[in-house]
Amino acid sequence: MSSRLDPLVLLPLILGIVTLIIYQFAPFVIQPDLGATSIPTLTETRSNNEFGVTTNGLILIRIAAGAIILLGLWTLTNNQLSRAAAALTALAGILVLEYFVVFWRDYAQEGATYLSSMGFGFWTLLGLGILMLLQAAIPRPAVAREFQLRSLAANQESAILLALVVLIVTIGIASPRFLATRNILDILQGNAYIAVAAIGMAMVIITGNIDISVGSLIGLLAVISGRLVVAGAPIWLAWLTPLLIGALVGLFIALIVTYLRVPSIVVTLGMFSILKGALILWTNGQRVTGMPEGFYLAQMKPFGIPMSILFMLVLTLLAALWMRYSGAGRSLYAVGGNAEAARLSGLSATRVVIMAFVLNGVFAGIASVLYATQLQIIQATPPPALELFIIMAAVVGGVSILGGKGTVIGAMLAAILLNMIRSGMIFIDFNVFYLQAITGLLILLTVLIDLIRRRRQMV
Amino acid sequence: MADAAQTSKPTWVQRLRGILFSQEGILLLILLGVIIVLAQQNPNFWTVRNLLNQGRLMSEVGLVALPMTFIIITAGIDLSVGSILGLSAIVLGVLWKGAGLPLELAIFLALIIGSLAGLMNGLFIVKLDVPPLIMTLATLALYRGLAQGISQARSVTGYPEWFFIFGQGRILGLPTQLWLFIIFTILSIIILRRTTLGRSLYAIGNNPVGARFSGLPVGRNLLIIYTYAGFMSALAGVVFVSRVTTTRSDMGAGLELDVIAAVVLGGTSIFGGKGTVIGTVIGLVLIQLLKNGLALSGVTSDATIIVIGVVLILAILVNNFIQLKRTS
Repeated sequence: MSSRLDPLVLLPLILGIVTLIIYQFAPFVIQPDLGATSIPTLTETRSNNEFGVTTNGLILIRIAAGAIILLGLWTLTNNQLSRAAAALTALAGILVLEYFVVFWRDYAQEGATYLSSMGFGFWTLLGLGILMLLQAAIPRPAVAREFQLRSLAANQESAILLALVVLIVTIGIASPRFLATRNILDILQGNAYIAVAAIGMAMVIITGNIDISVGSLIGLLAVISGRLVVAGAPIWLAWLTPLLIGALVGLFIALIVTYLRVPSIVVTLGMFSILKGALILWTNGQRVTGMPEGFYLAQMKPFGIPMSILFMLVLTLLAALWMRYSGAGRSLYAVGGNAEAARLSGLSATRVVIMAFVLNGVFAGIASVLYATQLQIIQATPPPALELFIIMAAVVGGVSILGGKGTVIGAMLAAILLNMIRSGMIFIDFNVFYLQAITGLLILLTVLIDLIRRRRQMV
Repeated sequence: MADAAQTSKPTWVQRLRGILFSQEGILLLILLGVIIVLAQQNPNFWTVRNLLNQGRLMSEVGLVALPMTFIIITAGIDLSVGSILGLSAIVLGVLWKGAGLPLELAIFLALIIGSLAGLMNGLFIVKLDVPPLIMTLATLALYRGLAQGISQARSVTGYPEWFFIFGQGRILGLPTQLWLFIIFTILSIIILRRTTLGRSLYAIGNNPVGARFSGLPVGRNLLIIYTYAGFMSALAGVVFVSRVTTTRSDMGAGLELDVIAAVVLGGTSIFGGKGTVIGTVIGLVLIQLLKNGLALSGVTSDATIIVIGVVLILAILVNNFIQLKRTS
């Protein structure tokens, strides 16, 4: 494979990052009496902000830039996608411009003279929007023949991203309140722990195994974390203990799977009962309350970004890079794809499977801390069917249940997509009782798309 | 040595050893041990009344465990059985109370819907090559969602007296659903041991490509067993509704794990190609008696699921160990 990297491939990525930085930090408005004001002032609702501007478009900028960065990073690993990234960047550019159109429309209505007070951030973002739109037209000779709309659906990650964008835009049109920063953040924040757990699950499934016990494990670890801190343990200890115990449980499962040759589905089915029983027996159904102030990790907001979202993005990114570029990470695919070939090339399948399960335990530990700290109370029982939801996220994200295929970025996007659908349905007054049926249909749909794609590749 | 064993008739010692060290034999020994311990712990355990009651409680999981044994022998799995149970229970309730159909017809239609739900699983798995785990994971959500959507989370009650025969009545001294379970168990044993359909399931589980090339109707047989699973789940649903006298959309949630635990405990290999109905029944009885005995000894029901988890893993471990010894 060619390792030559066309610098033009990086363009969408750079545009995405710059947009996000400008959006986040640059002064947007310069008011004579107040000085520079950044965009967050504008993200309040129309009635609250001083311009009276509809701000629905603003959240789109952030989402679009985030999506571009993700796709751009992943373009680095897959040259064929640079055109898809360019197309998506252009789409994001349209969204950015849409905001400015709305702004000018409202500005004209209000008849105010704010235009002269617009600061650096305002004009840069406008320029960036145009640039994002235009860059799709830049010829990229190295990959130009790959410019086909079909390549957008060529893999699960971009298909999900596309579905996500379509979903957000559709529901946003039906109910603009859905696009409010607060709502989008709430959705992402409340379910970030599922995406984190899906990282570990993806690794386990890629090695050709499965973990059914992860839902019970998260519930148990969350209560351990809460009880520790209530009992007076230092907060850092309450945050780290679940990771350690999770790793130990993962190690225990892996040892039975590898050395005693019991299928992972059976071991984790047993562990599912054991952990769930232990949790209920121990807590007696009593939820944990009264944690000290500094314990709520998921509610912290460094740089204005909720901690749980930060965790989700950073961990997914690290895991994706690790699985793509490190020897240990790649060995997961080798063992899952063809165990015999992996063995012949000197890989120890035992060691790789143990590693996957231990990491899965650690990620379950992190997910449990995020889950435990997102509300003021910790429920004694984990959300019902949590393990199925996590497995679904991994599978919809393109991780093949037969092993050897899939990425954690896909798993994270799928986790977000599944949650967006749930919340979106509520926003458009869809009959909530059918929610689960829709989720099931969605899984079927992704599986079918995957099948069609594989058949086409085979031909 | 293998040749010698095949040509000469096995002595009774060898036969006994074969039976004892089979998965069923080991399980039976464990079951006997468990029964002896539990009977000594509590005088109320080894009574006809208690045992019949356990038979009643066990039948719903048991009815579904029979087709699940078939499916797991073919190296497949069906996670949607609990949801099919819920869906058919809701169909039964809504058609009877909502649409005003006679209850007999509603029961019939519920069984049809359950079978169709199973057939749909089979069609996707056979025609489109969707892995069974994924397909039934999807329909686990889909069927449960349909049940919730159709019922709008309202429960149906007020069934006529005669309907309770399935879940609460007795025929010739045995609970009705136990009769159902026994009949279907015998039927399943005959199918699995004596029919080409049953024998082909092992071939499919061991080597699906080989089975197809030997001219076995792999697709048709898979369709039949997934439909059978749907039908039995619906039947279990009818029994369930009759036993608890009400229909709710969350009925049977988590049933799939109980069922799979019983089947796997009974020695059916999750990789396919190996397993018996008798083993499943022993696994089922073992789990139910453990639950009951522990409850009688004052252990809370939450603690019993720990024991079941441990027993599940241990039983597989012991079996693996013994099989390893036998082959070496």
